[in-house]
Amino acid sequence: MEILEEIAAEIEKGDPASVPALTEKALSQDISAQDILNKGLVAGMDTISERFKKGEIFIPEVLIAAKAMKAGMEIIKPLLAESKVEAKGKVVIGTVKGDLHDIGKNIVAMLLEGSGYEVIDLGNDVPKEKFLEQVEKERANVLGMSALLTTTMTYMREVIESLEKAGLKQKVKVIIGGAPLTYSFAEQIKADGYAPDAASAVDLVKDLLNQ
Amino acid sequence: MENKYRLNIPRLNVLARDQLEQIHLSTLEVLRRTGVAVKEPKAVEILKKGGCYVKAERVRFPSNLVERALRNTPPRIGMCDRSGQPAMFLEENNVYFGTGSDTPNVVDPYTGKRRTSVLKDIENVSRVVDFLDEISFVMCSGIASDVNPKISDVYHFEAMVNHTEKPIVFTAWNLENLKTIISLAEAVAGGEEKLKNSPFVALYTEPISPLTLAEESTQKLMFMAEKSLPVVFTPAVITGATGPVTLAGGLIQGNAEILAGYVLANLINEGAPFIYGGGVTSMDMATSTLCYASAEFMLATSALTDLARYYRLPMFSFAGCSDSNTYDQQASLEGALWTLLSSLNGGNLVHDVGYINNGLTTSFEQLVVSNDVIGLVRRICSGIEVNEETMTLDLIDEIGPGGEYLTSDHTLRHFKENWYPELISRVPYDRWEKEDKKDLGTKARDRAKYILENHTPQPLEKKLKAELRKIAESRDR
Ligand code: B12
Repeated sequence: MEILEEIAAEIEKGDPASVPALTEKALSQDISAQDILNKGLVAGMDTISERFKKGEIFIPEVLIAAKAMKAGMEIIKPLLAESKVEAKGKVVIGTVKGDLHDIGKNIVAMLLEGSGYEVIDLGNDVPKEKFLEQVEKERANVLGMSALLTTTMTYMREVIESLEKAGLKQKVKVIIGGAPLTYSFAEQIKADGYAPDAASAVDLVKDLLNQ
Repeated sequence: MENKYRLNIPRLNVLARDQLEQIHLSTLEVLRRTGVAVKEPKAVEILKKGGCYVKAERVRFPSNLVERALRNTPPRIGMCDRSGQPAMFLEENNVYFGTGSDTPNVVDPYTGKRRTSVLKDIENVSRVVDFLDEISFVMCSGIASDVNPKISDVYHFEAMVNHTEKPIVFTAWNLENLKTIISLAEAVAGGEEKLKNSPFVALYTEPISPLTLAEESTQKLMFMAEKSLPVVFTPAVITGATGPVTLAGGLIQGNAEILAGYVLANLINEGAPFIYGGGVTSMDMATSTLCYASAEFMLATSALTDLARYYRLPMFSFAGCSDSNTYDQQASLEGALWTLLSSLNGGNLVHDVGYINNGLTTSFEQLVVSNDVIGLVRRICSGIEVNEETMTLDLIDEIGPGGEYLTSDHTLRHFKENWYPELISRVPYDRWEKEDKKDLGTKARDRAKYILENHTPQPLEKKLKAELRKIAESRDR
């Protein structure tokens, strides 16, 4: 099991270069992909998120760790699929139509990815058709929408209404975020959750998918 | 126009001549080598005709083209008040302060609570700006949540122009709305020509970092250039997020974005009234909030002011803004540091006075306290007069060792030249304790309420006001 601790340690150090080789090594020791995922990659990222929340480390350090985690994921992904291990969950995310603010959304996407979720980032200025299409095609568990403008946040309601019409609303948890949004706005438009920052966005997804 | 707006002490530089050259030449290099993505096809066409290298939406700028355009910079942009009288000469070392725009929240001056902003707040800010001596122009401050959001920008403009005579810097959601707002402004000025000759409005629009001229903001820039009306083109480079984390790199990237817009405006209309500025700020990597008052933001703004001077373009700068979530000690100290620095640098159109909560909330307290701070800073920037009357050699000799100056005619003649605050307190402890024991924040709120209850700005003519309502209404579908 030492090797798994080593993987976790490399992720904490934020070294994307060393993680793939260690992952291969673990596989050659007959450790299952699932154990590598949970006891190595995810374990490393859990420590990172804890330290970030405590203010011990900063965003760029979290993101480089997430990159390291992703490098390991790439290797075990096909094996996980083969052994039919349920992935942690799939998130489709984007900034809504008319809105070009994407920094916050990017941070949320990267942290989710770093926590082991598969993330499909649709970028910014995303129309509802595209959200719907991707949610359906990817069988996403979570749809994340970001908006920083009072003029564009109302578009989220339209997206949720289209999801309802298409019969997809029950199949996907909708979460929203962005500086001018609030919990009560999320409730109003029937979103499943709101998070004021990236770390709580990860917790939110965890909670929603555990329900 | 009063001389008080002028910086009368040596301007503070943060970039040495050689550093300016390096940043300028590196900017040319970025524009030539990397280029800029231009998402508006008409702009791409104009830039291509003007001599840029174009491959799909990527536009690369030959350095001589940029240099040639920079020879046409307007050394002065004059802005008028609502009645067409000159109000601001945006030029080297003239410093004017104004509010910011579009905060989703406001601290209600009556309840002291933060809430979503409404149209009434924008009217109120405009009235307070109209009253305050040291605030020279208005931006809408809040974003109205109680009107049709598709045209809230039009409502903002109408609210401002109805409640202050001071020049207006405005934002517009898109080209259509911009056209509506300009038709309102033209109605007020008395026609297209009059607005062009005596503009009392400037548009705020921006490139999208890194290195992108987005479709809508570029359309707005082009429209203003065609109309020969003042336009502010200001990026938000967030170092480490939308630009390099080191300030020199951030400045070069931001400068490239601004100059790309400038070249475009200049190709459309040589000498177009283009206002330089920005927007090179940092992100707090612990909380991921965008800083409105970090040391790096202040330093980078000063550096951009140096660049503006180098190009002889007016500078859109920052002051009176804060990251604090409430109006408190932090808000006033950050606001004051900004005000001092932007003045020492000689920024011209200095905005965001009244912002707290990193641009998400407007505070009336911050606005009225800043008015005092600006007064104080203006006194510093007015410098020291050195002449026979002020050096007082005869007086010193006459009074000599051990005398006093309180009763001299010279003191009587000149003591009023010292600056006196309105809110900042200098009363002795005992009197303060006996009178009211109010701190600055409490006095600031009282002051804001006093202005709101007592100041009536010069209204627009009834007919004109109705005409504006009609134009705005026709868009409210
Ligand atoms: C940077 C910035 C820009 C940049 C954006 C660059 C980019 N690539 O994103 C530029 C310069 C392009 C820009 C443009 C405009 N902007 Co702007 N901008 C900002 C600014 C200063 C910071 C935003 C930011 O990046 N913050 C840092 C990130 C990390 O924080 P965040 O986005 O809030 O994200 C965090 C949380 O909200 C949450 N989160 C975010 N998304 C999601 C999604 C999910 C699913 C979840 C769970 C959580 C979550 O987690 C994130 C990380 O902790 C804000 C002011 C502010 N303090 O917010 C104004 C601001 C948002 N902009 C504003 C305005 C008005 C505009 C313009 C309309 C200006 C104009 N008239 O031209 C244009 C619009 C362009 C467009 N069509 O989108 C207003 C919005 C007012 C409103 N409510 O409508 C603001 C508040 C500033 C102001 N007072 O004027 N802007």
